[in-house]
Amino acid sequence: MNTGYIISRLSSALLVVVGVVSIVFLLIHLVPGDPVEVMLGESAHAADREALRAALGLDLPLLQQLFNYFHGLASLDLGQSLHSQRPISNILADRLPATLELAVYALLFAVVIAIPLGIIAAVRKGSMADVGAMGFSMLGVSIPNFWMGPILILIFSLWLGVTPVSGRSGVESVILPAITLGTALAAILARMVRSSLLEVLNEDFVRTARAKGLPESKVIWRHAMRNAWLPVITLMGLQLGTLLGGAVITETVFSWPGLGSLLVESIQKRDYPVVQGCVLVISLAYVVVNTLTDLVYAAIDPRIRLGEDG
Amino acid sequence: MNCIRYLLLSICLVLVLSACSSDAPDGVIRMGLTTAPTNLDPRFATDAVSSRINRLIYRRLVEFDATGMPVPSIASWTQVTPTHYRFTLQDQGRSYHHKKQLFAEDVKATFDSILDPATGSPHRSTVEVIQRIATQGNSQVDFYLKHPDSLFPGYLSIGILPADLIMQGHPFSTKPVGSGPFSFHSWPQEGVLRLTRIRDNRQFEFLPVPDPSVRILKLLRGEIDMLQNDLPPELLSYLAGKTGVSIQQRPGNNFSYLGFNLQDRFTSQPDIRRAIAHGIDREAIIRHFLKDGAKPAQALLPPHHWAGAKGLKPYRFDQQLARELLQQAGFSRQSPLRLVYKTSTDPFRVRLATLIQSQLSQIGIEMEVNSHDWGTFYSDVKAGRFQLYSLAWVGVKTPDIFRYVFHSASVPPGGANRGRYSSKVVDSIIDQAESSADFTHKALHYQQLQKQLLADLPYIPLWYEDHIFVSRDTITGYNLAADGNYDGLAQVQLNNQ
Repeated sequence: MNTGYIISRLSSALLVVVGVVSIVFLLIHLVPGDPVEVMLGESAHAADREALRAALGLDLPLLQQLFNYFHGLASLDLGQSLHSQRPISNILADRLPATLELAVYALLFAVVIAIPLGIIAAVRKGSMADVGAMGFSMLGVSIPNFWMGPILILIFSLWLGVTPVSGRSGVESVILPAITLGTALAAILARMVRSSLLEVLNEDFVRTARAKGLPESKVIWRHAMRNAWLPVITLMGLQLGTLLGGAVITETVFSWPGLGSLLVESIQKRDYPVVQGCVLVISLAYVVVNTLTDLVYAAIDPRIRLGEDG
Repeated sequence: MNCIRYLLLSICLVLVLSACSSDAPDGVIRMGLTTAPTNLDPRFATDAVSSRINRLIYRRLVEFDATGMPVPSIASWTQVTPTHYRFTLQDQGRSYHHKKQLFAEDVKATFDSILDPATGSPHRSTVEVIQRIATQGNSQVDFYLKHPDSLFPGYLSIGILPADLIMQGHPFSTKPVGSGPFSFHSWPQEGVLRLTRIRDNRQFEFLPVPDPSVRILKLLRGEIDMLQNDLPPELLSYLAGKTGVSIQQRPGNNFSYLGFNLQDRFTSQPDIRRAIAHGIDREAIIRHFLKDGAKPAQALLPPHHWAGAKGLKPYRFDQQLARELLQQAGFSRQSPLRLVYKTSTDPFRVRLATLIQSQLSQIGIEMEVNSHDWGTFYSDVKAGRFQLYSLAWVGVKTPDIFRYVFHSASVPPGGANRGRYSSKVVDSIIDQAESSADFTHKALHYQQLQKQLLADLPYIPLWYEDHIFVSRDTITGYNLAADGNYDGLAQVQLNNQ
């Protein structure tokens, strides 16, 4: 992997972030709803409105505002919330750990469920196990989070009393949101593992491994799975990016103080600086995860040499 | 495979770190809220939750009694001249949480700060009638007004901040310091607010739980001890059958209404507005949809308000009359009236819209329901981009709301006359009511005004929503306030210890 390739990937990643932030900046200002009116109410005088608009820099031309925003970003100043007057960096610092925690646990749950399920389904193709695994997969994708969340709460919190209903208060509080969020991902991943593995299982090198008398577990793990990882890793990278972007419904159901609910609340209140801060973090998360996914390819599959020709 | 090993190790590390967080201490009384308070500086707070919590932290000069009359809180007052009010601070409730005394200077500093355009307070327009403020000693504050306004004391229900901290630019919004019965303790995590009740050092935690079903489940599980309002009626019915749960309900003042655009070619026609009023079966909606959790309204102020109108004749549910009125306006089943009803994405409002849509379809109105996110909906309503919409006025205390909502000079951005209603009669009654110094005469004018508004129908009054307080049986002593404030927390007790 050469340095030039990494620099080129990082540069394009930076461009993507700048592009996303700029587009969102322009779009949010086009949406109906004036933050100054939301803040001052309908009875405020025009002069007061204009004064506040000027104080917030909202009277400047849009491109000037965008320039000022990037100027602030260059000195790591994300501005402050129009409503709570808290620095955006503090707000994001409060929310980001919750989002990271939920994303990691949800992904962990998905991986732990999906990989064995996908392998069993592939190895025992056409059996009841395969049908069951794919049935779970179909169910996992179909059940909406806003229904699954309350049902899990009812069973595990109210009837069995083993987890808190909602909120973020220790490791036990993340179990249900992680299952809610991770189930659909597990379902998609399981299907991906199955189809990816099925393709590989018909390859000559697998037949050779079996012919050598290797135990089936070694054939699957050492030979087949190593070659089936790539599409699975790609999907996991994409899904992790989505998870880091926040999961509004799951966060709402479980009162989970993450980025997704913050973003929606801020859009509703037209709190532009907070929206921008969230979008910045989410786009960064996507870009970082996808770049890392590319780099992980090379580690998993020695045939891949990123950035080299031929 | 090393990278996978490192990934697994990292995940384990995250698991261990997140397991380190600790539970809240015992003895804390927890209240579930729909949303977290956004601003604990009373100069800036405008949302209901922030305002209610600020009432616990800060004290005010003036309160309101059950009829909406201003009464002394920490200060009594005399009207020296029509434009001069003298407030005298009482002895109690004058200790700030940072150990200083609340003096007249603090009152002056608070209102001067609100009046300063540089502060950007949304409450400036409420108190802009103040020309200047002077103090006499530590306990006397003189307010000089630009013009006579007999409702003036009612405008001073904003929390008083300490002058020294105002001068220092203290961040009240996140670290409030007041002289109320509760002091700020901490924000242990995003959105979760903890206050200390000063008289017994009891801690109270306010947790945002947006989903009402989850709020109920948390209550049943004992993760929260109480909650107030914002419950779908069916959940209330569910709770009514549960043991270990108490429900308090009392009539409230929050006024739900349907608003018309009086500049629209259809909804500007009185016959069409009357047809809609006769076509909506409010009683059925209250009984079946709201589960008797509301009282029918005929006017913006409830009848028990000192300026409220008693005995107003409601528009009875009469589909035949509604059809006839529509026919007079030139519509029939063959050429039905088509209207667009705008509402927010709030599930309750959307369900209400579909109910009204269904009822109006029976009189031959084809209504399309458009729901938008709050910012877009509110912006459309203010800009007059609607035919019909539904909203509620929350926390209305003083009858100056009538100028704000119905005077022809109050079309946004100059006020909240969103329907562009213009009536010389109504303008004149509002002017007369405001210029009358005598409260009896003032009340008569406002009653006449509400009668006129009911005849003109710029709004169709729907109902006043009840306030509902649900708690575990371990909670006692909470008095549910008529305006839905949280003042009852000052007396509430936890009895399981």
